[in-house]
Amino acid sequence: MKNKFNIHLFEFALSSIFRRGAKNIFIFFVFTLLIFLLSSVLFISNSFKSELDKTVNVLPSIIVQRLLAGRQVSIPTSRIDKLLTIEGVSKVIPRIWGYYYFAKAGVNFSLIGIDDFGDQYKKSYSRLVEKFDFSKLTYKSQMLVGKGVEAILKSNYYDGYFNFIKPDGDFVKMTIGGVFKGDTRLESNDVILLPKQKALEIFGMSDDVATDIVLKVANPVEIPNIAKKISQMYPDCRVITKEDLVKSYQNIFDYKGGLFLVLFVISAFTFFMIIYDKASGLSSEEKKEIGILKAVGWKIDNILKEKFYEAFVISFLSFITAFCLSLFYVFFMNAPILRNIFIGYSTLKPDFILPFSFNFQTFSIIFFLTVPIYIAATIIPSWRVATMDAEEVMR
Amino acid sequence: MIEFKNVTKTFILDNRDEMTAIKNINVHIKKGEIILLEGPSGSGKSTILSLIAALSKPTNGEVTVDGKRISKLSDDFTSVFRRENIGFIFQKFNLISTLSAKENVMVPLIPSNPDEIILESRMSELFEKFSIQSKMNILVKNLSGGEQQRVAIARALVNNPSVIIADEPTANLDKKLSLDFIDIIKKLKDGINTIIIASHDPLFFDLDFIDKTISIKNGEMI
Repeated sequence: MKNKFNIHLFEFALSSIFRRGAKNIFIFFVFTLLIFLLSSVLFISNSFKSELDKTVNVLPSIIVQRLLAGRQVSIPTSRIDKLLTIEGVSKVIPRIWGYYYFAKAGVNFSLIGIDDFGDQYKKSYSRLVEKFDFSKLTYKSQMLVGKGVEAILKSNYYDGYFNFIKPDGDFVKMTIGGVFKGDTRLESNDVILLPKQKALEIFGMSDDVATDIVLKVANPVEIPNIAKKISQMYPDCRVITKEDLVKSYQNIFDYKGGLFLVLFVISAFTFFMIIYDKASGLSSEEKKEIGILKAVGWKIDNILKEKFYEAFVISFLSFITAFCLSLFYVFFMNAPILRNIFIGYSTLKPDFILPFSFNFQTFSIIFFLTVPIYIAATIIPSWRVATMDAEEVMR
Repeated sequence: MIEFKNVTKTFILDNRDEMTAIKNINVHIKKGEIILLEGPSGSGKSTILSLIAALSKPTNGEVTVDGKRISKLSDDFTSVFRRENIGFIFQKFNLISTLSAKENVMVPLIPSNPDEIILESRMSELFEKFSIQSKMNILVKNLSGGEQQRVAIARALVNNPSVIIADEPTANLDKKLSLDFIDIIKKLKDGINTIIIASHDPLFFDLDFIDKTISIKNGEMI
C-alpha cells in the first residue's frame, strides 16, 4: 500500500494552485497562448507541407521557358520535335497559360489552355469538378473555373459566363461549364481552364507558339543531364528542373515560416520571463510555506511531488487547452490571419480548406518544448529551498 | 528521553560573522516531564527547541531523543522523526494563512496518506477538544489570535507526538488567552507526553505542573 497514489498530496497541490489564483491564471494564460501559437504554426506548416508534397509529385520533370531581355516570352512549338530526340525524354508538352487581369474586380485570373475536354480527360475532370454535365459539353466555348473565380464573376453580374477582352478589343464569350471542388482550392481557386485555342485567342498568341514546354523524363537521375543538353541546345532558354521548383517552394515556405518566428519569439520571451522569475527563486511566502511543511514532517520528496503536481496540472492543462484550441482554429476555423501569411501574395487569395494533417512528432515536439521546461523551472527552486534547514527557511 | 551532550550551535550571519546561540549545553529530560525553558529574549531558548525538533543541527555535540542520535540523521529521516515524534507550537503559529483551519491541521498527516474516514474522525476529535468546531472551514487568516493558536496546537497534536514543544506560546496572546493555553497544557500532562515550553512570560513561573525549569542566559545554562 506504500506506493498507493497520495490523493491528499494531489488535493493539496490543487488547493495551492487556487490559493495563488491570480498568478497561476496569468501563467496559464501566457502558457496557453504560447503553445497555441506554436502548435497552430506547426499544424499550418504541416498541412501546407503535405499539400505541397502532393503538388511536387505532379510537377513536370523539366520546364523550358524562352527568355528575351531577361523576361519570359513565348516559345516556338517547332522546338518540340528536337526536344523529343533527346534520349530519356518520354513526353514533350507545350503549355498555354498566363494571367488575365479583370480590371473591374482588380484581380488576376490564371488561365490555362488545354487541348480540349476530350473523352480521355472526362474521367479525371469529373473527379475534380462539381456542377458539370460532361454529356452537355460544347467543348469550344466552355470553361472550368475555381471557386474564387466563380464568386468574383457572380459578384460582378457575370452569371454563368464571362466576356474576355482580346488584345485587339474583341470579346470572347465563355460559359462556365463547371466549378472545381472545394478541396482543390489551394491549387484551383483563381484558375480558369479552357480550350487551348480559346486561350491563345484571349492572349493574342499565334498557333505556333506556347507559353512554355514541359518534359517528362522516365528516369529522375537523367534529369540534370537532359536539362544541361537543353541549355546547350537552346541558349535563349531557361531550363527549370523539378528539383529547382521544389527548392523554390521550400524557400518561400521557409521565408514565411520566418515571419512566424518573430511572433513566436515575442511570446517565447514572455514565457521565459516567467520561467526566469520562477527559476531565480521563490517568493518569501512560498519559501516560508516550504519551511512550515518541512517543520511538520514533510520530506523533500513530498514537497517536490507536491510542486510537481502543481506544475504538471498548470502546464498540462495549458498544453491540452492550447492544443485543442489550435486544432479548432486551424482545422475548423481554417486559421484566419495566420493562414494568409503562408499563402502570401496573390490578388485573388485562394480560400482553400487546410487539409487535416496530424503527426505524433509535432505533438511530442510541442509537449517537450513546453511542459517539462515549466515543470523543471518550478521544481528546481523548490528543491533548493527544500534542502535547506527548515528553521533557516522559516526565519 | 531527551539528552543534550555538550551542544553548541553557531550561526553564520549575512556579513559572515559568527554568532554562537548556545554553548556547551548539557540537558537531560525524562519521558513525560513538563519542562520550562526560561530566559530573556535572545538567550538561546528557541535554538534549543529547534535542535530537539531536528529543525537544525548542532555545530558541536550530540542531541539524542528516545535513543536516536537525531543530530546525525539525514534530512529525510529528520522529517520522518518530526512527523512521528514532535508536535511544535511556534511563537508566531506558522500556520499557512491561505488554508482553512482544518487544512492546516491536516497538513502533517498528508505525507502518510491516511484513510479518509480516519482523517475526518481525527479532525472532529481535535476540533472538538479545542472547541473550534465552528471554525473548521474558515481561513486561518480570518481567525482571532487565540483561535489561531488553538489551530496551531491541534496541528501539533494531530500525529499523537511523544514530544510537544511550544516556543513563546503566549507572546502574542492577552492574559485570558494565555491562561487558556496554560489550562490546555495542564490537561495534556498525562505522564506519556514530554512537553517543553520556552517562555519568559511570568505566568509560567511557579506553575505546579511544571516538573523542571531550565534557565538560559547568553546561550549558557545557569
